[in-house]
Amino acid sequence: MFLSLTLFSLNRKKMNLKSERRGIHVDQSELLCKKGCGYYGNPAWQGFCSKCWREEYHKARQKQIQEDWELAERLQREEEEAYASSQNTQGAQSLTFSKFEEKKTNEKTRKVTTVKKFFTASSRTGAKKAEIQEAKAPSPSINRQASIETDRVSKEFIEFLKTYHKPGQDIYKQCKLFLDAMNHKRDLSIEEQSECAQDFYQNVAEKLQTRWKASFFFFSCPRALHWVTPQMLCVPVNEEIPEVSDMVVKAITDIIEMDSKRVPRDKLACITKCSKHIFNAIKITKNEPASADDFLPTLIYIVLKGNPPRLQSNIQYITRFCNPSRLMTGEDGYYFTNLCCAVAFIEKLDAQSLNLSQEDFDRFMTGQTSPKKQESDSFSPDVCLGVKQMYKNLDLLSQLNERQERIVNEAKKLEKDLIDWTDGITKEVQDIVEKYPLEIKPKNQALAAIDSENVENDKLPPPLQPQVYAG
Amino acid sequence: SGGARMAAGAGSAAGGRSFSFKVVLLGEGCVGKTSLVLRYCENKFNDKHITTLQASFLTKKLNIGGKRVNLAIWDTAGQERFHALGPIYYRDSNGAILVYDITDEDSFQKVKNWVKELRKMLGNEICLCIVGNKIDLEKERHVSVQEAETYAESVGAKHYHTSAKQNKGIEELFLDLCKRMIETAQVDERARGNGSSQSGIARRGVQIIDDEPQVQSSGGCCSSG
Repeated sequence: MFLSLTLFSLNRKKMNLKSERRGIHVDQSELLCKKGCGYYGNPAWQGFCSKCWREEYHKARQKQIQEDWELAERLQREEEEAYASSQNTQGAQSLTFSKFEEKKTNEKTRKVTTVKKFFTASSRTGAKKAEIQEAKAPSPSINRQASIETDRVSKEFIEFLKTYHKPGQDIYKQCKLFLDAMNHKRDLSIEEQSECAQDFYQNVAEKLQTRWKASFFFFSCPRALHWVTPQMLCVPVNEEIPEVSDMVVKAITDIIEMDSKRVPRDKLACITKCSKHIFNAIKITKNEPASADDFLPTLIYIVLKGNPPRLQSNIQYITRFCNPSRLMTGEDGYYFTNLCCAVAFIEKLDAQSLNLSQEDFDRFMTGQTSPKKQESDSFSPDVCLGVKQMYKNLDLLSQLNERQERIVNEAKKLEKDLIDWTDGITKEVQDIVEKYPLEIKPKNQALAAIDSENVENDKLPPPLQPQVYAG
Repeated sequence: SGGARMAAGAGSAAGGRSFSFKVVLLGEGCVGKTSLVLRYCENKFNDKHITTLQASFLTKKLNIGGKRVNLAIWDTAGQERFHALGPIYYRDSNGAILVYDITDEDSFQKVKNWVKELRKMLGNEICLCIVGNKIDLEKERHVSVQEAETYAESVGAKHYHTSAKQNKGIEELFLDLCKRMIETAQVDERARGNGSSQSGIARRGVQIIDDEPQVQSSGGCCSSG
């Protein structure tokens, strides 16, 4: 666990300070072979000439593995210290951060070799490698312990990414592709390789901030758009009509059901079923065949209302694994395309696309107000029937709520009464017990008293003794 | 032979010829796109007894000179707010029918925008038809015949006048379009056979929605090696 933690923080540091890191240059003194054999060295061979490098390579690899472990352990210690101090003081945040900074400068010298290590594909190991996580590393030269460690970290990283659904998968895929690409480029100079690495970091950071935001948003708070009303989308279905609302419910059920199907074809069938129900709803409302002008807004509304699970993943899945001809030409393909359009529309949803002012949009988005209250009066009578019905229902609900509260109160009162009554009885009993204490006289004494009243006891004859006769 | 159809639409069975084409219907709302296709596929107009459930996806089977044609007509949402979704609809189309209302200058302007976009995105591979609908309202015409036809010619499109209400010009429109699409498909096929033009085929093939980060360009590293 510690390692992945450490690595994440390392990664974060990198993204923050990427500009600083961009220019890594090899020193002039490194141009000649380090061993002093007189030949020029190559940065890709850690400054050795090809011959000396081959000799040094084996030694160096072992040393690097050792170094990486030391680095990892040191970072862990610091991480733990930082954690401990953050427990104690409020200002821990800045303290921790400055610590990172300090650590960073300390490592400056080391970094060149570390980066080299990483990009000299045959020697990438432990910490550096795991930092960009790779479960199935193609490099055969990693020592056993490091690869176990890497696997573990990779697993944790994947677990971590799972919580982000599609963006997480993207990140994982990007990393994997990047590592593979780097593996093919082991012959490039270090400058070029580090450029690549930096580009990669920067790209990932940028994407995390911009590109993936939409989908993050779409998944992390999918209910944030629950306030969108049919009126805003100009949906041509009137849910006042029971058959229509029935169709709407069916359509929602179908689109939600899509997630449970496994084969792309079955998923498509769900979309088609959903579409047919939508067409029915439109046809009942408008009494004419639905056009795309009617269909798309309704589909968007259904998607927003139903909030189907993993919609994005499902669409991706169908796109990738469905027979292309089915997707491009058939009726199913048409409905699927419309669903893609609906999702694209929702992802880019803004005030303009709902005919709202930016202020209204922002207020609905943050949940400060509900559009239902505000806009019900401004709609024409037939449009706001649904809204009126909703108000009626809301009234009923609030009445029910009131009644329920009353019942709860009564129940509480009853409970209290019961407790009081029990207490009262107990008290009464106790009072009576105190008032008339139970006196138990000893048995013997009572018998003696009866006897003692007989004055001429002594004069009575002795009691008869049984006599035994020998028979 | 249905299984032999290809996504690109120009699949051919061994003996008889069979084509399947995708045609998108573009144009502002209320220009009569739906009426046009309903008239063509069902021969009905504003009929209370229309049994069709929907008019957004309709198919028609034709036989043109012994060539079987399966036509799939895709209606698109014409509202301005859905304009950005266009590319998702017209991807892999063989033809586009761009409808405007002759009484509505704005709708013609919209058609011009569509033409520009389609030529930019799909090049000359797509057969364009510009259709002035509602010629039964000739008296209220706001778009001049001359202007429309000149424009169509300038962008390599054909111009048609139709009335869904009076059932005028619609059969001609679709028949003509089908012939042109067959021609384009055959040219494409020949090119493919010669192997002289691979670009056309590549472009017409299946395209997966690329809404995820492009590794090639974004991770600059991958292309430099």
